[in-house]
Amino acid sequence: MAKWLKWTINLTILTALIVACGVIYLQSVSNKAVILNCSSELFDRHVQRVDDGKYYLLVDVLISAGNAQINYRYFNLDGSSAGAILMQGEVKSMELNRMTYNVSVKTKTESEDIDKKSWPEHMKYLSYISSLHFSESGRHNLSIEVLDSDTNQDYAVVLFQPSNTVCGCRIVNSRI
Amino acid sequence: MQVGSCWFDRERGLLVEQARNESWHLPRAELQVLSLLVEHQGKLVSKHELKTGDGEHPPLTDTSLARAVFMIRSFLGPQYEGLIETVKGQGYLLHSTQGQRLKSFHYHRLQSLPWWSALLVFGFMLAISGFYLSRIDHSVPTEPLLSTELPLASGQHIRLHLYANSKTNNTLLFELGDRLGQGLSRCGQSDWSEVYSSLSHDKQVLNITLRGHKLGQSVIRNLKISDFRRPKTFIDENWLQEIGICG
Repeated sequence: MAKWLKWTINLTILTALIVACGVIYLQSVSNKAVILNCSSELFDRHVQRVDDGKYYLLVDVLISAGNAQINYRYFNLDGSSAGAILMQGEVKSMELNRMTYNVSVKTKTESEDIDKKSWPEHMKYLSYISSLHFSESGRHNLSIEVLDSDTNQDYAVVLFQPSNTVCGCRIVNSRI
Repeated sequence: MQVGSCWFDRERGLLVEQARNESWHLPRAELQVLSLLVEHQGKLVSKHELKTGDGEHPPLTDTSLARAVFMIRSFLGPQYEGLIETVKGQGYLLHSTQGQRLKSFHYHRLQSLPWWSALLVFGFMLAISGFYLSRIDHSVPTEPLLSTELPLASGQHIRLHLYANSKTNNTLLFELGDRLGQGLSRCGQSDWSEVYSSLSHDKQVLNITLRGHKLGQSVIRNLKISDFRRPKTFIDENWLQEIGICG
């Protein structure tokens, strides 16, 4: 067998092995889903009103196989819907040292059944910031860093950036 | 003629190891092989040539040739056995020195490779190195801007952590942290053990996360306050009491 043919075969096998290792590595880090459920009490403090505007916010974070979905649902105190924002995108990268998921949101859906003026201030803020990013770059990039977690107690305290928001969440499913 | 640490006396058919003062009277096959290698030192001598010799004697078999080379190498010793290089499928080559042998060895090996294979291997190594370097995680966990421990009357301690995405322009956050700390310190006892707080990057939303234990269960409470008043106070003593900050 000619030498060049031997070398071609050897290098082809080597390439296949390296590619296989890379694929196995990527599969191993991305095949398990992360589901976080974060509930918050919202208080809107205005000059004109004596009482604060009070709402509940439920945020569901789902990260699975490189895809990311963040669902913000707002509720009035009586349980009726005060609005919702659904963001979908992909996980751009993971920084394991600081347990951070870098997410690039590609699409955003805002509920249209409720007048924008009645939205909770947090929702107005989130809608404004994400729209600003979409108009600038077509994407809304954010990172979710786990600051503290206890998988036995099923909780995690996470930090959303660039909004600099701390939030305590229930871990529904985890590879944290 | 010097071969490694041995002196080769072709006329007498002797190979003398000078350090040990040991001499070997070479059999016909060994003498024929070594004579030809010495004669063509630094050049490749084909197997056929080595087996045929001067043509006066019957040619050596492949086994005899291989055995003769083995015996000569054994006598030269481990330090110099490499002076006789096997060029696969072609023949043997006697180097004059070990250094030259190595140089020539690589030269021959490299000559036998197609030129693009070295380029390809280099490209592979570069790609693998690049991939590996890109995968190294240089990130470090975000540290709180400030962490303080708040003692309560019950002897319990609450740790308060303030987070900011910049180390400058955090006056309002520190002020709110003080106010929150004072509110928590007034609690005789509390369900909370850790409190995390941050101001949104545009200072519009104050986030407070309280974590602790109640009846053996982990409990978490998140408060997000938007304030549109001037000046922004976000929280005060009455408000903290009103929302039941002590848990």
